[in-house]
Amino acid sequence: MIEVNQLTKKFGRKKVLDGVSFTANKGEITCLIGINGVGKTTTLKAIMGLTPINKGSILIDGETINKNTYEKVAFIPDAITMLPQMTIKQAMQFMQDFYKKWNQERATELLTFFKLDEKTRISELSKGNTAKINLLMGLAIDVDYILMDEPFSGIDIFSREQITEVFTSHLIEDRGVIITTHEINDIEHLIDKVILLDNGIVLKEFNTEQMRQEEGKSVVDVMREVYIG
Amino acid sequence: MKSYIKLVNFEINRFIKIYLTLLIITLLSQFIGVIVIAKSKMDQAHEVMGEQNLSEQAYLHDYGGFTFAHFASTLWFVGPIALCIIALLFYCLMIWYRDWFGKNTFAYRLLMLPTARISLYFSKASAILLFIIGLLAFQLIILPLENTLFESLIQDNFLQTSMDVSSILQSNVMLGIILPPYFSDFLISYGIGMMFVFVLFTSILFERSFRLKGIVFGILYIIAAVLLYLSPLFILSNETYSVLYSEEIFAIFLVLGILITAASIVIGNWLISKRVLV
Repeated sequence: MIEVNQLTKKFGRKKVLDGVSFTANKGEITCLIGINGVGKTTTLKAIMGLTPINKGSILIDGETINKNTYEKVAFIPDAITMLPQMTIKQAMQFMQDFYKKWNQERATELLTFFKLDEKTRISELSKGNTAKINLLMGLAIDVDYILMDEPFSGIDIFSREQITEVFTSHLIEDRGVIITTHEINDIEHLIDKVILLDNGIVLKEFNTEQMRQEEGKSVVDVMREVYIG
Repeated sequence: MKSYIKLVNFEINRFIKIYLTLLIITLLSQFIGVIVIAKSKMDQAHEVMGEQNLSEQAYLHDYGGFTFAHFASTLWFVGPIALCIIALLFYCLMIWYRDWFGKNTFAYRLLMLPTARISLYFSKASAILLFIIGLLAFQLIILPLENTLFESLIQDNFLQTSMDVSSILQSNVMLGIILPPYFSDFLISYGIGMMFVFVLFTSILFERSFRLKGIVFGILYIIAAVLLYLSPLFILSNETYSVLYSEEIFAIFLVLGILITAASIVIGNWLISKRVLV
């Protein structure tokens, strides 16, 4: 389980996160939602130790982030994290060199699924294909948790469909996923838990299935209620 | 350890094209330079002999012969060495900043590798050290070849003395600094050089961790390290200084150098592990 407790993060004097707490379990898709600048990406970066926090704690299966937890959690940011001059094959080789849990079979499966050529250079990838390669680099590590930052941002409908398909496949099942997205409609039916953030605090946290059954509301309905009033 | 070696290999591979280009520039510039300078020296000599109606002996008596040192002080020889030094100094900065800047944020990937983050710090420092040693070795290999070529292009009578590598190194100030003739001097020069690299790395990490404030911290850190290292020169009076044995002065600077390097590594480790921002 990923436990975020009272997470506080300031940029200068501005508090971006102010006591944010939530948990994300294995086998569940948890979605962080909020307008731009509410601290979604900062939360993911803090979990990965990519930005220092001012207060609070983050535990991954009871451990604070360390070199071993990077074999447990993969972060898929919305920017490419490989060198532009690398080919896809070289990028995969780099991952294989450093990650004990790199699963080449799964990488090849994803490459075939996304119809990508391993000889293509990273710098030549379109926005959609960049998102797919980011996904591949994260999903091909046999980690327990995956953090995805805006995986659908700025990509075409077909790429979006392909990525959504990955969510329903064996590539995701049993893993815990924390995702941030504005394109909620694409994956609403796949999300288990929603955390609505605003002004650095958790406004509402709910189970989507429960919300649907008990109150008959979709995630978008709840968002409208919370953000628009 | 395995990850550290892989990272060093990775860093070397990333710079290898530029590095090989530097080696080729050095090779071409120095070999072409040997030919150009040797030829021009001989032409000049013949011109002077012609103009002043001098015999070879009279010319050599008045003007002296030529040695490799004449070539080693020209831009053909010194230029590529200076270029390599400037390139490596620039590389000390680039080795960090290239991972942060641009639309591809490779820093994410490096910082998320399942290895202690200090390995990144050490791998970058090791890559720089290996590049420096490689350049020195390359220069040492081509130096006797250049010398042989130079001597073969200068007419025997005009060759003042045949120089070996050691005397070439001692004949040129710049060469004397970059390739000190004694091993102990080599260790001191490059020990100080690596201390500077660690201080610079830590100040870069200050900037990467605290951004604008970090620039100030980084500059202050460099100033503090330099002042601390040179503090014996300010603190010890001339009298005290003069009564100390050279071994004692060496020991003081050695201890200070080790302290500054260790402090840079400890602070660098804290910054890269706990404070650095992507």
